[in-house]
Amino acid sequence: MTARPGRRVLVSGMGGDLGSRVAVHLEREAWVGELLGIDTDPPRRRLKRAEFHLASPHDHDRILALVERFNPHVIVHMSVWEPFSRANPKTAKTLTSEAAISTLGAAAESRALESIVVRSGIEVYGRARGAPTRPDESAPIAPTCEFGRSLAEIEITARDIGRRIGVPVAAVRLGSVLGPHVPSPLGRLLRMPFVPFSVLADPPFAVVEDVECARAFVSATERRLDEPVNVLAHGAITVLQAVRRGGRIPVPLVGPDWRVAKVVSGLAGAPIPDHVLETLHRGRLADNGRMGELVGFTSAVTTGDVIDKLYAWPSVIRQPASRQVA
Amino acid sequence: MGDVIELPRRGLSTPVAALQSISHAASNRLLASWDIDEWGRDDMWVRATERLTRARWTTLTGGLELIPGTGPAIVVVNTRRFRLTQWWVAVTLSEALGRPVRFVGRSDSAPFGALARRLGGLLARPDEIAGALRHRQLLVVGLTGTLDSRHVGTCDPSLLGPAVEQRVPVFPAAVTASESSRSARIEVAPRLAAPRHRRGPLGEVELARRVETQISAMLESFGGAHTGTPLDWLPWPSGGS
Repeated sequence: MTARPGRRVLVSGMGGDLGSRVAVHLEREAWVGELLGIDTDPPRRRLKRAEFHLASPHDHDRILALVERFNPHVIVHMSVWEPFSRANPKTAKTLTSEAAISTLGAAAESRALESIVVRSGIEVYGRARGAPTRPDESAPIAPTCEFGRSLAEIEITARDIGRRIGVPVAAVRLGSVLGPHVPSPLGRLLRMPFVPFSVLADPPFAVVEDVECARAFVSATERRLDEPVNVLAHGAITVLQAVRRGGRIPVPLVGPDWRVAKVVSGLAGAPIPDHVLETLHRGRLADNGRMGELVGFTSAVTTGDVIDKLYAWPSVIRQPASRQVA
Repeated sequence: MGDVIELPRRGLSTPVAALQSISHAASNRLLASWDIDEWGRDDMWVRATERLTRARWTTLTGGLELIPGTGPAIVVVNTRRFRLTQWWVAVTLSEALGRPVRFVGRSDSAPFGALARRLGGLLARPDEIAGALRHRQLLVVGLTGTLDSRHVGTCDPSLLGPAVEQRVPVFPAAVTASESSRSARIEVAPRLAAPRHRRGPLGEVELARRVETQISAMLESFGGAHTGTPLDWLPWPSGGS
C-alpha cells in the first residue's frame, strides 16, 4: 500500500535535527501535497514548502486547533526528547508524554487521517536478565529504562488510536541515533577524552546514522506501514572498541565507581542517562533483518562506520576573523 | 589597546594528548583487526580459545561433510554436567568448517555471560535461536547434562521448534572426551527429520526424542571403558564428553 498524491502530512517535532531532516526529505516527495510542522523550537534546516508552527506540547488546545484546521492524511510523530539530549530526564519525560497526548490525541480527531508513523527506539525491548540478545520486531515490549518506557507509551497510545479509528500505525524503532548535529548523550560520552566502560561486560551495541533514520521515516510514511520496524546500522561494537577507534583513553570500571563516573561525566558536559548506562552495562542490539522488506532499503553503513564518523566530526570549527581589529 | 596573547596550546594539551596517543598506538598495534559480529561474537577470542582447546585435546572429527558449508543448521550434542561441551564443540567445528559456529545456552550474567557471548554464545531461548537461524547461522545445542557419560540427557523440544518451523536440518552428534588423555571425538550423524509432518508442537517433540535415541546409539557404538568391575559404575572414567 503506497501513498496517493496530494497527501497532507503533519510532522510533530519538525524543529529537531531528525524532524527537520525528515521534513526536507518529505518536501522532495511527489506524493506529499502539503506539509505542516509543529515543535517547540524552529526547524534547524531551510525548508521550502513546509508550514511551521511553534507550539508547546502543553498547549493541547492550540495543537488541536492546528491539527483540525490542517486535517492531515498522515501524522509523523517525532516529538520525542531523549533524556539528557536537550532536556534533563524529568523534563524530557514530561515533554515526550505531553507531546504524545496532544499530537496523537488531536490526530484521532482528524477525519482525513489515513496513517500514523511514530518515532520509537529499540529501548522498548528492555535489557532485563535473560532478555533476547537481538530482538526482532515480534519480541515483546518490556522496557527496563525510563526512555524505553516513554517510547513504549507512545507506541501503545498510537496503536490504540489506530485500532479505534482503523488506520495503520508504524513504529520506527531506532537504535541510538548519531549524526553531526544530533544531540546524543551516547555520542557525547564517546567523544570525551576519557571514556568509562564496564570491564566485566563491555557488551556490544548498535547505532544508526541520522540520514538513514530520516529515510526510514519517509519510507514508512509512504508505504503506510502497519507494524514496527527496527532501524539500525549493520554490525555491532563495544565501548572499548569504539574508544580504540576514536583514540580515546578507556577507563575500566567495575561497580560502585560508576556512580563517581556518572557525576564526573556530568560535570564534564556528558551526563549519562539511565538508558545509556544500561547500554554500557548490558549492551543494546536488535535484529534489522526486516528493514529491506518493511522500509525498502537496508543500511548502507556499519555501526563501526558510524562510530568512525562520530570521531571524524570536528568539535569546534575555528573561523579566523577576516580583519584584525584589536 | 592590548596585544592578543596566544596561550601555548600544545603545552596545555600534552598530558591528555600523550595518553591518547599511547592508547591509540597500543590498541592499533594489538587490536588492529579486532571486531565483533552482530551477536557479539569475537573471532579473535574464539581463535585464541580454539588454540587452548587444541592444547588440551586432540579431537577426531567425523561426519563434518554432512554439515552444510553455508546456510542454517543445528548440531545437537550430548553434554556432561559442569563441562562446556557446547562451547568446545562450537569452537572446534568453527575451526574445522571455516565458518562461525554459535552455541546455545550461555548465561546472561557478567562476567561469564559476557565472555560466553564473545565466544559465540546465545541464550537458550527459542526466539534467539529462530533469529540466528533466520540469519543462516550454524548452532550447537546441548542435551541436558548428565553425570554418567554413558547416559544421554534430554533434548528440550522448544529449542528445536524454530528448526522445525523453518525446515532447518538438525544433526545429532556424539561427543566423547577423555579426562585422563588427550583424545576427544566428535561424530556427526546424518540429518534427522521429524518422523511425520506435524502442524503443531508434536513435530519438535518427536524430533527431540529421535535425536536422543540417535546420540544414545552412537555413544553405545563408540564403546567405552568397560572393565567389568564396579569402576564402570563411576561417572568419570569412561569417555563421554
